[in-house]
Amino acid sequence: MNRIEKYLAKAANLEEVTHGQDITCQVSYVAAHDVTAPIAIKMFREIGVKQVFDPERVVLIVDHIYPAATEKARDGVWLMDDFAKEFGIKLYHRGQGVIHQLMYEKHRANPGELVVIADSHTCTCGGYGAIGIGVGSTEMAAAMATGRLDLEVPEVVQIHLTGELPANVFGKDLILYLGGIFGTDYLVDKGLILTGPGIENFSVAERMTVCNMGTEIGSMITLFGSTAREPDVAETREVDLSSLIPQIARPFSPANVVPVREVEGTPITQVVVGSCTNGRLNDMEQVVKAFKGRHVHPEVNTFVVPASVEILDQMEANGWCKIIRDAGATVLNPGCGSCFGAHEGLASARDVVVATTNRNFPGRMGSLKANIYLASPATAAASALTGKITVPRGEGAE
Amino acid sequence: MKTIKGTVIVLGDDVDTDQILPGYAMAEPFESLGNFAMAGVTGMNFSKIAEPGCILVAGRNFGCGSSREQAPIALKMAGVALIVAKGFARIFRRNSINIGLPVFAADIVDQLKTGDEITVDLENGEITWNGNSFSAPPLSDNVRKTLEYGGLIPRVRAELNIQ
Repeated sequence: MNRIEKYLAKAANLEEVTHGQDITCQVSYVAAHDVTAPIAIKMFREIGVKQVFDPERVVLIVDHIYPAATEKARDGVWLMDDFAKEFGIKLYHRGQGVIHQLMYEKHRANPGELVVIADSHTCTCGGYGAIGIGVGSTEMAAAMATGRLDLEVPEVVQIHLTGELPANVFGKDLILYLGGIFGTDYLVDKGLILTGPGIENFSVAERMTVCNMGTEIGSMITLFGSTAREPDVAETREVDLSSLIPQIARPFSPANVVPVREVEGTPITQVVVGSCTNGRLNDMEQVVKAFKGRHVHPEVNTFVVPASVEILDQMEANGWCKIIRDAGATVLNPGCGSCFGAHEGLASARDVVVATTNRNFPGRMGSLKANIYLASPATAAASALTGKITVPRGEGAE
Repeated sequence: MKTIKGTVIVLGDDVDTDQILPGYAMAEPFESLGNFAMAGVTGMNFSKIAEPGCILVAGRNFGCGSSREQAPIALKMAGVALIVAKGFARIFRRNSINIGLPVFAADIVDQLKTGDEITVDLENGEITWNGNSFSAPPLSDNVRKTLEYGGLIPRVRAELNIQ
């Protein structure tokens, strides 16, 4: 059995599982946010059970639209507040951060445990070795009631990493590169495991970035393994990290990927650094290295969105917020920011955005015609300074 | 549930959840989601062309992107009775089944145009239109069971013996 099969077998309390098998797994945590929780709560009440499976293991988080941009959004938060009080479960609101970051900081599942969150980027947990399964509201409601999830054991594709990552290349570049290879649907219903000596280039935070966008290439489960190769996989691809160069996804697909140098010089009007993909301290560090003593281009709005209060606290302690502000950029409150197009920096048809977020579908950040490019924080920060898509040159040397 | 007959609306590849239901509409009340179905597609007046009982026929990776269940809910409320696509993104596919909206994987998009009428036998995997026919793997027993209950919630209620 490969690592995913071993973990799923354990969660299903079975000796052995094989791909294609339907199993029922015990889950470690169940969570939802302000976009998915209101429907999940409605569905949970329709089930009619008197309690959640374990109040310590169910978490609700307000991250998508905080502070409320509309009355309707505020009503949704009230619904969550009432539910959390009634069932004695934890609610994070008032801008504590993005669900996938808060689950890591406050409710971290152990390696191999199953985390079920009503959000597609639940795969982020694979960066710390847990199995993250993104579901919709109804499935989350069922898991909240039963503590169980039905799934089928996936076939697994292995990415075996070797070599040393160049200084201007990051986890984001790796996952974009994989998107360029696989496209958006090759991995649908499959698992993806990253192995090999090359994984040691990536911190847990960087691994979370890689796993975060597994869903963008269709994967059901994305997970970092060990330096050794996994047994019993359907397919293995080799990637030599030393040959990787900065990557960027062009409009309008996260898999529409080219090396940054191929679009270098494209004029831009907005930069967003943040989200569950790239809103962690190491991402902020890249921004600060680029911005220190410099100023962003006068035609570019630049938004920096830490993924949690803990990260923002650390940025302030390091004096980083001041450096970012002095560079002419804006530090926003922890949360999802403008990533999904409901508030905090929507783009019009005239805008060209470089974002460190995870999707660049038409209309993702506002206008259907706004062009969104997805790249690493280093590429985004370098581009904010020049006002054009720019290849980052390595530490602080832009 | 076994056989669905309806008028087709043809869509392309990679129809994502931001097209099916844009981010700005996600906080709309449940009851009005149908008004925003496919609002993220330029120039498509979906609520005008979607008739009750219509069938969407699309290409690869339908429903890619977000886990937002509002997307299949909006389609269902706008009158969509079935989605046939060459392929589905995993979470969208499960969301649809969980709310009782059948989805069926078959590569027929290039053979149809909007307005055609088709009949889909979900149990046997047979699709027929205008004297043509196409075979695809039928729905799995597990999926069919959820759909027969009308979705995951009634199924869970039954399994937990809640009257």
